[in-house]
Amino acid sequence: MSLLHLSFYSSFILSCLGLAFHRTHLISALLCLESMMLAMFIALTILPIEAQTPSTTLTPVFMLAFSACEAGTGLAMLVASTRTHGSDHLHNLNLLQY
Amino acid sequence: MSPHTKLLTSLSLTLGTTITISSTHWLMAWAGPELNTLAIIPYTSKSHHPRSIEAAIKYFLVQATASTLLLFSSMTNAWATGQWDITQLTHPTSSLLLTVAIAMKLGLVPFHFWFPEVMQGSPLITAMLLSTMMKFPPTILLLMTSHSLNPTLLTILAVASVTIGGWMGLNQTQLRKILAFSSIAHLGWLAAVIIYSPKLALLIFYLYTLMTITVFLTLNSTKALKLPTLMTSWTKNLSLNAILMLTLLSLAGLPPLTGFLPKWLTIQELTKQEMAATATALAILSLLGLFFYLRLAYYSTITLPPNSTNHMKHWHFTKPTNTTTAILATLSMLTLPLSPLILAIT
Repeated sequence: MSLLHLSFYSSFILSCLGLAFHRTHLISALLCLESMMLAMFIALTILPIEAQTPSTTLTPVFMLAFSACEAGTGLAMLVASTRTHGSDHLHNLNLLQY
Repeated sequence: MSPHTKLLTSLSLTLGTTITISSTHWLMAWAGPELNTLAIIPYTSKSHHPRSIEAAIKYFLVQATASTLLLFSSMTNAWATGQWDITQLTHPTSSLLLTVAIAMKLGLVPFHFWFPEVMQGSPLITAMLLSTMMKFPPTILLLMTSHSLNPTLLTILAVASVTIGGWMGLNQTQLRKILAFSSIAHLGWLAAVIIYSPKLALLIFYLYTLMTITVFLTLNSTKALKLPTLMTSWTKNLSLNAILMLTLLSLAGLPPLTGFLPKWLTIQELTKQEMAATATALAILSLLGLFFYLRLAYYSTITLPPNSTNHMKHWHFTKPTNTTTAILATLSMLTLPLSPLILAIT
C-alpha cells in the first residue's frame, strides 16, 4: 500500500473513531463527520489523477454537494438540541430510554 | 407541517429510494440513502418535542456515518480494482465494510442500538416509514452485491439479530419499541438467506413490510402507543382489534397465516445449503418473538371484560376503518395458500 493510501485510510479511520468515541459535545461528533467527508473528498480528487480516468473528475464535487447538505442538517440538529435540551451535551440525550 | 414541506419531503423520499434501487454506480447508490436521510429528518422531528429532536439527532448521526462508510468501501474497491459498478464489488475489505455499513443502516445486531430509541421518538406513521421504506434501499444494495458478501459474517449477524430482537423485545411495554425489535428480528431472517437466494430475501422483505404496515395502520387508527392503551382499544374499533390479533400472530410466523411463508421458505433454503444448524437456531430463537407478539395479542384481544373497561362502547363514535388497512390486513393474514403463485412469480 503506498503512502498516499495509508494516509487517506488512517485519516478516515481516525475521524471515524473520533465520531464513535464522542464524549461530551454533539458538535465534536459533527466535526468528525465533516472530517470523514473531507478525507473522502481528497481521496476522490486524487483518484482520477492516479487511475488515469479523467471521466471521474466530477465525483468529488458531487460528493461535496451532498456532504454540505448533510453538514447543514447536522447544524440544524445542533440548534434544535440546544433549543429543547438546553445544551449540546450528549449525556442529556437520554429521554428515549423509557 | 405546511403542504409545501410535506410535498418536498415526500418527493425527496420517493426520489431517494428510486435513485438507489435503479443505480449501477456507487455514487448514485450513496446519494440515494443520503437523500432519504435528509428527507425523513423533518418527519421525525415534526412535533418539536425533546424526544422527537433526540430521535432525529440519533437517526441522523447513525445514517450519516453509515453512508460515509458505504462511500469509503466503494472507494477502496475503486482504488483496488478500478470498478465503480455495484455488482462488481470484489475486494474483500470493501465487501466487509459494505456489510458493516448496511448493517448500521438496517439495524442488524451489533449496530442496532439506535433503532428502538429512534422508533420510540417518532410519530407512528414516521415510525412506519422508518421501519419499512427506509430499509428498502439498503436491502436492495445488499441484494445487488449479494454474490460477493462474506457468508460467515452474514450468518453471525442474522443469528445475533434474531436473538437480540426476540430477547430485548420481551421487556418492553412501549409498542414502537416492540415493533422496532420485531423489525430487527425479521431483518435477521432476511440477512440469513440473502446470499443463497436473493429473490427469497426480497420476498421476505415484501411480506415483512406488508405485515408491519398493517400493524402500524391499525395502531394509528386507535392511536395506541403502549400496552395499557392497547388494552382498551377494543372499545374503539371491535373488528379491527380482532384482526390485529391475527396480524400480530402472522408477524410471529404462525402457520395458517402469511407470516409463516418467509420462515418456511428460509428454513427450506438454509437446509438445502447444508446449514440446518443455523435454520434450527433461527427457528428456536424466534420463539422469543412469539412470546411478546402473543402478549400483545392477549392484551389487545383475548383479555375479556370486565377486566379491561367498564363499558362496551367508548363515548366517541367509532370512525370506519380505512380501506387501505382492511386490504393490507387481509393480505397479511390470508396469502399463505397463494404461495405457489407467489413462488412462480418472484
